[in-house]
Amino acid sequence: MPRFLSRRGFLLTGAALGGTVLVAAVGGVGYLASVDVDGLDGHLDGERAVLNAFVVIHPDNRVVVNVPKTEMGQGIHTGLAMVVAEELDIPFDDRISVVFPTEAHPAYSTWFNVLQIRPEEASGPAVWVGRRVLGQLGFIATGASGSTMGMWHPMRVAGASARHMLLAAAAARLNVPAMELATGDGFVRHAASGRRLSYGELAHEAALLPPPDHPALKPTSEWRIIGRSQPRVDIPAKIRGEPVFGMDVTLPHMIYAAIRHAPVFGAQVARIANEAAVRSQPGITDVTVIDGRKVAVVAGSWWQAEQAARLLEIDWTSTDADSVSSAEMSARLRSAFESTTPYEHINDGNAASVIADAVTSAVIEADYTVPFLPHACMEPINATVLVRDDGTAEAWVSSQSPMAVRRGAARGAGLAGVEPISVTCNITMNGGAFGRRSDQDVVTEAAFLAARHRGRPVKLIWSREEDIGRGLFRSHAAARLRAALGPDGLPVAYDALVAAQSITQGIASRNLPFTPGPDGDRLSVEGLDKLHYPIPNRRVRSQHVPSHMPIHFWRSNGFSFNTFFTESFIDECAQRAGADPLTYRRALLRDKPRHLAVMNRVAEMAGWGTALRPGQGRGIAIEECYRSVVAQVAEVTVAANGEVRVNRIVCAIDAGLVINPDAVVAQMEGGISFGLTTALISAITLDAGAVVESNFHDFPMQRIADAPEIEVSIMESTEPPSGVGEPGVVPVAGAIANAIHAATGRRIRSLPLAVTETIGERRTRTVLPPVAT
Amino acid sequence: MVSLIVNGSRMDIETDVDKPLLWVLRENLGLLGPKYGCGIAQCGACRVLINGEATPSCVTPVGSVAGASVVTVEGLSQPNGTLSAVQQAWIDEQVPQCGFCQPGFVIATTALLKATPRPTDAEIDEAITNICRCGTYPRIRRAIHRAAALLAER
Repeated sequence: MPRFLSRRGFLLTGAALGGTVLVAAVGGVGYLASVDVDGLDGHLDGERAVLNAFVVIHPDNRVVVNVPKTEMGQGIHTGLAMVVAEELDIPFDDRISVVFPTEAHPAYSTWFNVLQIRPEEASGPAVWVGRRVLGQLGFIATGASGSTMGMWHPMRVAGASARHMLLAAAAARLNVPAMELATGDGFVRHAASGRRLSYGELAHEAALLPPPDHPALKPTSEWRIIGRSQPRVDIPAKIRGEPVFGMDVTLPHMIYAAIRHAPVFGAQVARIANEAAVRSQPGITDVTVIDGRKVAVVAGSWWQAEQAARLLEIDWTSTDADSVSSAEMSARLRSAFESTTPYEHINDGNAASVIADAVTSAVIEADYTVPFLPHACMEPINATVLVRDDGTAEAWVSSQSPMAVRRGAARGAGLAGVEPISVTCNITMNGGAFGRRSDQDVVTEAAFLAARHRGRPVKLIWSREEDIGRGLFRSHAAARLRAALGPDGLPVAYDALVAAQSITQGIASRNLPFTPGPDGDRLSVEGLDKLHYPIPNRRVRSQHVPSHMPIHFWRSNGFSFNTFFTESFIDECAQRAGADPLTYRRALLRDKPRHLAVMNRVAEMAGWGTALRPGQGRGIAIEECYRSVVAQVAEVTVAANGEVRVNRIVCAIDAGLVINPDAVVAQMEGGISFGLTTALISAITLDAGAVVESNFHDFPMQRIADAPEIEVSIMESTEPPSGVGEPGVVPVAGAIANAIHAATGRRIRSLPLAVTETIGERRTRTVLPPVAT
Repeated sequence: MVSLIVNGSRMDIETDVDKPLLWVLRENLGLLGPKYGCGIAQCGACRVLINGEATPSCVTPVGSVAGASVVTVEGLSQPNGTLSAVQQAWIDEQVPQCGFCQPGFVIATTALLKATPRPTDAEIDEAITNICRCGTYPRIRRAIHRAAALLAER
């Protein structure tokens, strides 16, 4: 069957796309042709001159840039505003502000993530139809490290188009040819007459002019903003403590809700044993079951609602998963290795027979595992929804996806018997997201409650305990990797079998009108399907391992485990070959100059090969992901008592052309911290079907005392931009595992690599697990 | 009724004395700088200064601090909007990513620098126990040293 999903959106397969083209050709071309996917036409909105879907100019010269991408800490509002400012030819200062537009204009569609074609390279009928269909669907989302790749070109064009319209307006006003005019500092100047007009003075006339067909983009040599670090536009408000997050949304007559989800996913609410007692708690106005599966408590204060929710005695229905433990889950992963029907993603050459025929001393086999993980965004999951008596609805959500918000709000209100005639979507700042906030779950719940309390905004907040143990997870995963080494010690055959729960199926089952089968999930084999090492015989297979756990996007998805698997395994191959891990990788990548350059840079930064003290070790890992190449070297110290500390991580990334270098450095630093927490600390355990961990006391996070020194280098490049939001996470676990091996000779093949011990209040240390006997 | 001095102003608040100070600040007083992150004094996003001490407000019943002086991140800057040295250092080092936890770090650092004007890295490790999921720790460390230097100049 055709599979409809890839990465973070739909993949229109050839068949599906062909079908769409056919439908469009027969019935809908006229309609689709009318869909404005460029958004370059202007109009007036009161005193605001909307020059196009991305650029708004006020009479006082303030420029508002519409950025249809969620700011979740990655700095995208700044980066894309820089691009507009560059083309608009204005300084990047506090006259520029950024908003996430509430309108679902087709020009805001995240079609790049779906079609995987850069806008600057896109052409042809498939793109034409894809852009229009996705634009009409309102598919707007932030993820897959794709925001700069997908939007930088359209926003350059929008900035250039607006500038052209301002020039044309000035030419008309001054009655001079446009070619005699120049722009700069927010003015159009006529040098010959010494006259000048500000953008604010011209914007109203400009907005009513037709946009140019192909506005000339500023030559790279004239760039003054792109490529030079600019301060983030969102930071001052965050430092002043201004209410910018979904959690902070405050509306007149707002009421609050707390919620309890089933301890064992899939269970239904059989009975609330003490509903009357909970209702009688101070301030409680409603206790209700949502969708048969959760219980919400509504009050005038969230604290009151949460206090009452803690008293709830809920009887849950029994499920097939009531006895599932972590040991059982591990056994399921292991048994998947014996599957006779794994899905074959790639089979180049004859990997299986080359390995079968190789002499034992040339064959390497190893199994690796990683656990389920929650996202643990610092801003707990929340949504605020208002359903009005006139049937309209409005939502304020720290979300990665307006489409998820709209669908969730409609579905939630529908569960309460209300079909909203429209949903206005306000995307706030996200207090971390990591893929988590692309799900519609919390919006559905809040909308259900809002439909029960029409006319009053309902703010639903999940407690941290609901987030850690009752929400959504990265799949657990395991891999059995096998290789045969040739006479030169390099792999001639590579065979990977990944056992994981389908990520795509999990997401689709909750968020899309259709759910693909579980087999052949591409997200589960990311990093293996496009292995950066050219090995002639290569097979990649996956086996879906079902469980009751709800699986979701999680920063870097399959790369978050597959790169740990592969980069550990390549080190094992190097060890068998008696080669230095860096030298070995260089040999493997000898025909890949981009990878080699990144690896050489990171090795130089790390001082690879220089002496370390006893108990110290260095490990390297590299990956190509989100069209970037990223490599890291970790330097660890393992004490005699097994305590492991990561002293330093150096990172080099080739992310193509970089718009805001400091933001890329920050993403690498943040990705490394995220990856390090995952590598050493994070684990979810299951007992009687339920997640044991509940909050930061038993699901600890890295703190400043455990944070390594980090050094980041960005490769010079004139290639178009590639992703940076996720790549920083990807090599960390492999680099640390390899460094631990270098320090101790121990090869640890499952995450977390260490056991976390509490040694004081908000103080932990990580210790290598005892050696298995 | 509980009385507090919040960011320099006396507030008389009708509230359950058991309600945590965090939720009194957020829900009763509309001060949204202090954040809910864990509710169990683990993450530090809710930290405020209580009589100068950085305290997790999520586990502090408001009745237990009646009469105290409470300073939230909103109260750190001058009335004319000039940022505190710590806030300025946070901007200069471009510390925040998502920013949700940062009010708690800024408060914790403000208290640290009051007690230890030129902290060593070890003293920072000891005093700053907040959680940042985005991983801004290297910049936080730099910003603390920068703020210490700024304060020494003033």
